[in-house]
Amino acid sequence: MTYDLTFAKEVYENSEEGHWIKMCMQCGVCAGSCPMGFLGAWTHSPRQLFQMVRAGLRDEVLSSTDMWMCTSCYNCIVRCPRNLPITHIIHGLARYASVQGKADPKQSTHHFAKDIFWENIVATGRVGEAALTMKLYFKDGIGEGIKQGLEMKDSALGMLKAKRLKPLPFRGKIKGYPGFKAMLKKAFELENQKEGKA
Amino acid sequence: MADGQAAGQTILVVGGGISGLTTAVEAAEVGYNVLLVEKSPHFGGRVAQHTKYFPKLCSPTCGLEINYQRIKNNPRIRLMTLAEVEEITGSAGAYTARIRQNPRFVNQKCTACGDCAKACQTEVDNPYNFGMNKIKAIRHDHFMAYPSHYYMDADFAASAEAKKLVEVCPVGAIEPDMKATVTEEKVSSVVWATGWKPYDAEKVLPYGFGRIANVTTNMRFERMADKFGPTGGKLVRPSDGQEAKNIAFIQCAGSRDHNYLPFCSRICCLASMKQATYVREKNPDAKVTIYYIDLRAMDRYEGFQKMVEADSGVQWIKSKPARIDEDPKTGNPVVVGENTLTGVRYEEPYDLVVLATGMEPNSATSAKVPMADARYDEYGFVVSGGGLFSSGCSSQPNDVSGSVQSSTASALRAIQTAVNAKG
Amino acid sequence: MEKKIGCYICTGCGIGDALDVKALGNIATKEQKIPVVKNHEFLCGTEGIAMIRKDLTDEGVNALVIAGCSHRVKNEEFRLGIAQMDRVDLRDKCLWVLDVPEGDDTAEEDRQMMAEDYIRIGCVKVKKMNDPNPYEASTPFSKVVLVVGGGIAGLTAALEVARTGYQAILVEKGETLGGQVAKMHKVSPARAPYNKLEENPLPMLLAEVKGNKNIRIMNNTVVQKTVGAPGLFDVTLNHNGTAAVERVGSIIVATGFQAYDPGKLDKKLGYGSSPDVITSMEFEEMAKAGKIVRKSDGKPAKRVAFSLCAGQRDTSHLEYCSGACCVYSLKQALYVIENHPDASAYLIYQEVRTPGQMEDFYRKVQNEGGIFIKGDVNKVTSGSSGLTLEVNDKLLRQGVTMEVDLLVLATGMETTMDTTDPNSASPVGKQVDELPGSILNLQYRQGPGLPSLKNNFPDSHFICFPYETRRTGIYVAGPARRPMGIAATCTDAAGAALKAIQVVESVARGAAVHPRAGDLSFPSFREEGCTQCKRCTEECPFGAINEDEKGNPLFNPTRCRRCGTCMGACPQKIISFANYSVDMIGSMLKEMEIPEADDEKPRILVFACENDAIPALDMVGRSHAGALSPYIRIIPLRCMGSMSLVWIADAMASGYDGVLLMGCRHGTDYQCHNVRGSALAEIRLSKVSETLDRLQLESSRVKMVEVNIMDAETLPQVINGFVAEISALDPNPYKGF
Repeated sequence: MTYDLTFAKEVYENSEEGHWIKMCMQCGVCAGSCPMGFLGAWTHSPRQLFQMVRAGLRDEVLSSTDMWMCTSCYNCIVRCPRNLPITHIIHGLARYASVQGKADPKQSTHHFAKDIFWENIVATGRVGEAALTMKLYFKDGIGEGIKQGLEMKDSALGMLKAKRLKPLPFRGKIKGYPGFKAMLKKAFELENQKEGKA
Repeated sequence: MADGQAAGQTILVVGGGISGLTTAVEAAEVGYNVLLVEKSPHFGGRVAQHTKYFPKLCSPTCGLEINYQRIKNNPRIRLMTLAEVEEITGSAGAYTARIRQNPRFVNQKCTACGDCAKACQTEVDNPYNFGMNKIKAIRHDHFMAYPSHYYMDADFAASAEAKKLVEVCPVGAIEPDMKATVTEEKVSSVVWATGWKPYDAEKVLPYGFGRIANVTTNMRFERMADKFGPTGGKLVRPSDGQEAKNIAFIQCAGSRDHNYLPFCSRICCLASMKQATYVREKNPDAKVTIYYIDLRAMDRYEGFQKMVEADSGVQWIKSKPARIDEDPKTGNPVVVGENTLTGVRYEEPYDLVVLATGMEPNSATSAKVPMADARYDEYGFVVSGGGLFSSGCSSQPNDVSGSVQSSTASALRAIQTAVNAKG
Repeated sequence: MEKKIGCYICTGCGIGDALDVKALGNIATKEQKIPVVKNHEFLCGTEGIAMIRKDLTDEGVNALVIAGCSHRVKNEEFRLGIAQMDRVDLRDKCLWVLDVPEGDDTAEEDRQMMAEDYIRIGCVKVKKMNDPNPYEASTPFSKVVLVVGGGIAGLTAALEVARTGYQAILVEKGETLGGQVAKMHKVSPARAPYNKLEENPLPMLLAEVKGNKNIRIMNNTVVQKTVGAPGLFDVTLNHNGTAAVERVGSIIVATGFQAYDPGKLDKKLGYGSSPDVITSMEFEEMAKAGKIVRKSDGKPAKRVAFSLCAGQRDTSHLEYCSGACCVYSLKQALYVIENHPDASAYLIYQEVRTPGQMEDFYRKVQNEGGIFIKGDVNKVTSGSSGLTLEVNDKLLRQGVTMEVDLLVLATGMETTMDTTDPNSASPVGKQVDELPGSILNLQYRQGPGLPSLKNNFPDSHFICFPYETRRTGIYVAGPARRPMGIAATCTDAAGAALKAIQVVESVARGAAVHPRAGDLSFPSFREEGCTQCKRCTEECPFGAINEDEKGNPLFNPTRCRRCGTCMGACPQKIISFANYSVDMIGSMLKEMEIPEADDEKPRILVFACENDAIPALDMVGRSHAGALSPYIRIIPLRCMGSMSLVWIADAMASGYDGVLLMGCRHGTDYQCHNVRGSALAEIRLSKVSETLDRLQLESSRVKMVEVNIMDAETLPQVINGFVAEISALDPNPYKGF
C-alpha cells in the first residue's frame, strides 16, 4: 500500500470527531480496554483503525466491520492518554462508512441500526419491542428466526414476568408525533446540507 | 571580585537534594556565601532514596558523600534543615527571605550514638521507605544521613515518652520543648531546587495501586532493592513476602497522559531498565517484562538500553497496558492490553507489577515559590526570572546529570545577580 | 613556629566506659611525647571545644590530635582553623565495629590495643604534617577565560563569563560567528508553552556578545598550542597566520558537533542516489532560505519524509542516540506543514524521544497533521513523480510505500573534540608547535587532547560531576561534550562558565578544585633523587606533570587535583605533600605495635580509600552490619592511586601478616573520583609479588578489593574473610625484627 493523506483528511473533515485521529500515539490502551476485543469481535483495534486511516486505507477502513462492534462502554475514552473521544470517533467512522455506502448491509449491528431499529422507531416514535425482536431474529430467514427465538425463550418469559417486555406492539403514536416527524425532517435537511446534497 | 562579599550578597538555595547541593557547593567554591535551606531533616533529597544510578549502576551516596565533604570543608555554606522559606520579598539583588526553622527536637549536641532510638518504644511508619516498614519515632532516616543528627516528629515530641527520652541521651541533645523560630535573611538571589515527588499512583485507577497488593511503584521498588531498605534488599511481593520472580514494569504510569501528567518524566524508562538489572542480578532465573510506548534512553544512555536489551531474561512489549486485574487465588496482578507490534491482546499474570510513576514538581503543590511574581509553566515547573532561578527538576523533568548541569548554570546566574547588585 | 601538639581524647559516646583512657593518654604523653594531652567527656560540646580553644590561645597548641569519632561527623564543631589536625576514630571504626562480650578480657584487650594503635598513628600523622602553603607562581595568575568556538555554546559561555564580570576571549576559526545555529531557520520551543517554534536566538545573542566590553572576539583564529596550567595558560592564537601568545586562566571548549558524514550511511537510505535525499542540516538551510523545494527540479516540496536515527543507535555507525534529532525533526515537519496547507510530513521513527515538556511539541506536530510511522526506510527509488520509499510499518505490520518530494535524514552529532586515549599504556609525549585538527594542542606530556572514555566525548564523572574533565581548568560545553540540543547547550555553556570562573578563583587562592576542593597542599619533589622513570608523568590521571628533556618531572601545581597518584607511583619516594607523604604513612604503619608471633594476634593493615571505603567502614558500625576482626588496623588514603608499594614492603618488614587494600570500582564504569587511582593501584599491586618473593612471603598476603560506599553489609565478610585467610598462613616471620 502507499501512504496517502487524502483519506485521512477526508475523515478529519467529514467523520464525527474524526480530526482527533491525528492525535493518536498508538499506545494500544484502547485495544486493551475494549471488552469486545477479548471476545474476538473485531480484527482491528481502534488504534489500528486510526493508523489505517492515517495510512489512507480507505476501503479497508470503511468496509471494516470493526467499528460496528462498539458497545459504547467508554472504557477507551476514559483511559486514552491523548484525550481522544474514541467511542465517538468509532461511531463516527461507522456512520461515515454507512453514508459512503461502504458498510456491509448484512453486518448485524449495521443492519439492525440502519434498517430494523430505524424503521421501527420512526413508525410510531417509540420502540415496539416485540416487533423489533422478531425482526431481528428473523432477519436471516425463518429457520434462523425460530432457532434464535427458542434459544432466548427463557429470557423472554422472564422479562415478561418482570414486566420488562411488552408482548403487544405499541399502538398509536407518541404524543406530539407530528413534531417528532418535523424534527426528523429538519435533521435530514441539516445532514444533507452538511454532506452537500442539499 | 569574589572576595569582600557583602552580607546581602548571599545566595539562597532552596532544596537540599542533588540540585540544591550542587548549586550550593559550586557557588561557594567560586567564593560566594550560600544559605542552603532544606525542608526535611537531612540533605540528599530524592536521590538519597535511590539504590543505584543508571547507567553506571553506582550508588548515589558516592557522589553525595563528595558533595558533603565539599560542604564540610567550606565555611561559606550555611546549612538549615527542617526549614521552610515562607515569604520572599524585594527584588533581584535585594531580597528578604522569611525562613521558618521548624524544631528538630534534637539539638546540635547529638552524636548519633543511637541510645535514644534503642530506648524508644514508639514506632511509626517510615516515610523514607514510603511507609513500607516501621521505624523508631526518634531516628535518622538512614545510616548515611547528613546531617547525622537524630530527629523526631512534632506529635511524638509532645508525648510523655519523648520527655522520658531526655534522660536517656548521654549528652543532653533531646529537647521535646524545642520551638519553631522565624528569621529573616537578606539575599541577593534565589535558586529554587525543590525537586519532585513521585506521582500519586493511586490516581492511576486502572492499574490498581492501593487496591492490588502486588502492584507497587518504581520508587518503592527502589527502596526494596536497598540492602538497608525495608525488605533487606529482597524483591518481594507485598502480599505474602515471597520473592517476586516474574516482574512487569509499566512505563508512563501517570506520565504522557492527559488524565494525569501530560509531560514525559524523562527518567522512568531508564529507571525501569536499571531496576530490571536489580531483578536479574539478584536472581538469574527471574523474568522481567517491560511495557512501554517509546523507550526513551536519550543520547549516551542508549548504550545502557543496549546492555539491558542484550539480556534475554528481559522481554519488551510495546504497549500501554489497559488495566491490571488481580487473580484472587494467587494474588497475582494480571496485566491486560494489546501488544501493538503484533496486534495480539494479552492477559499476563505476574508475581509483581512495578508502575513507573513519573515526576510531579513539588513547586506545583507543596513547594510553591513564596514570591509574588514567581512564574510557572502549565505543569507547575518554575520559570526563571528576575533573581529567581529554577534548578534541576524544579525546571523540567531531569535525570541526575541534567540536574547537575542545570544547577551549575543556576549557580552562575545567581552569582551574576549578586555581582550586579554590588554594582 | 615550633609545632606544639595537643591530643584531646573524648570519653563520650561510650569511649570512656569501653577503653582505658588513662592508658591512651599515656601513649600520647609518654610514648609519643605529646606535650598537651587531655580528656573530656563531651569533646564536641561547648565546654570541650572551649577547652581546646583555650589551649590554642593560652598554651600555644598549634596542631591537634582529636580522638573521638569519625572525621566525617562533627566537622563544624572541630573547624578550629588548625591545618595540622587529625581525627582519630575511636568510636565509629573501633568501638562500634568490634564485638566485645561483657567480661571477655581478651576481646577487651584487643579493643584497647586497637585504640592505642590509632592514638599512636594519629600522633605520628600530625607530627609528620606541615602547614600547606598555597601555591604561588612566579608570574601573575590570569582570570581571563578563553572560549574556543564561536557557535551558540561558545557565544553563550563567553557572554555568561562576561556578565559575571570576567574577561573572555572568544576564538572562532571561521570568518563568522554563529556556528551550526547560524544555519537554522527557527528553533524548537525552549520555554512554556512548549508548542511554538521560536525565532533563532542567534542574532540577539550576537548583538549582546558584540556589545559586551568584557568579550574580545577573534575570528579567523585557531589555537595553535596551549602551554601551562590553570591561571597560567599561555595560549598561542593564530589569527590569519599571525601568532600571538595570550595568558588566560581557564579554557572552555565549545567547538560543537559535526554532523555524521551522510556518505557513510547505509545505501538503502538513498543518500547520494538522488539530490532529493538530504540531511537535516541541508533541509534546515533550505528552510532558512525560504525554499523548501526538490533539489532535483526546484519544484515545491510538499511531501516530505523524515527518517530519524539515520546512522544512529547503530553499532556500525553512531552507537548512541544524539538526543536532539527527534525534536528538531518535529520542528522541520512543522516547516513543511506551515509552508503548504496541503503538505504531507511523515516522520519515520524507532522511538519518539521527546522528553519532559517536549511531549507538548510532539502533540503539537500531530495536531498539525504530521504522520508518525514506526519503521525503517528500507529502499529509496527516484522516479518522475519523486522519491518512492519502501518502509516496514511496524504498527500496520506490513510493508508500505510512500511517494515524497524529499527524504530528510536525521543524522547524528559527533563531537569535534580531539581526544587522547586515556588507557594507552604509553601516552603520546611528542609535542609539536602546530597540530592541525587539534582544538587546543595541549603541550602536555600525556598528549594534545582531552582523554576520552567512549566515542571521543571527554571523559568525566558524567552523572554527578559532568563538567569535570581530566584536564584541570579546561571545560567542555555543548555537543562537543555530549550530544544535546540548543536549549540544553545554552544551559551547559552557563555551567561551564561557572566552572571556568571557579577554577581561576580557586587558583588565585592556591586551592584545589573538585574533588579535593579547597585543598591547599600540592606535590613537592626532591629532584636529586629522581631516576627519570617517568611513572609520575605517565600515571597522573589529570596530566598535571610534564617532563623536561632529561625526563625529570615538571609539576604544574594548578593542574593538580591532589590525589597523590604521583606520590604513589614514585619508586624513589621523592614526591610528597605538606600534609601527606610516603614517609608519613610509612611512619604510621611502623608505629603500630605488632604482637609477637606466639601471641596469636595477627595484624592486618587495611589501606582504605577515604572517599568510598572509609564511609562504608563508618557505616558498618552504624548499621550493625556485623563485627570486624580486632586484628585489623585501618589507615585512610586520599585515593588508592597514592598507594606506594614501599608501604607494602614496610608493612611486611614490620611484621604485619597481611595487607588489604580497599579502593573504588575501576574500568568503564569507574567510580574512583580521581578516575584512574584504583586502576593504577591494581596495576602496581600486580608487581608486588616481586617484593614478597624477595622477602620469601606468600603473595596472598596482599589483596586488593573493590569497595562501594554502600558495601557496609558485605564488608565484615570481606575483611574477616581476609583475616581468616591470613590466619591460616604462618605468622609473618619478620615480626620482631
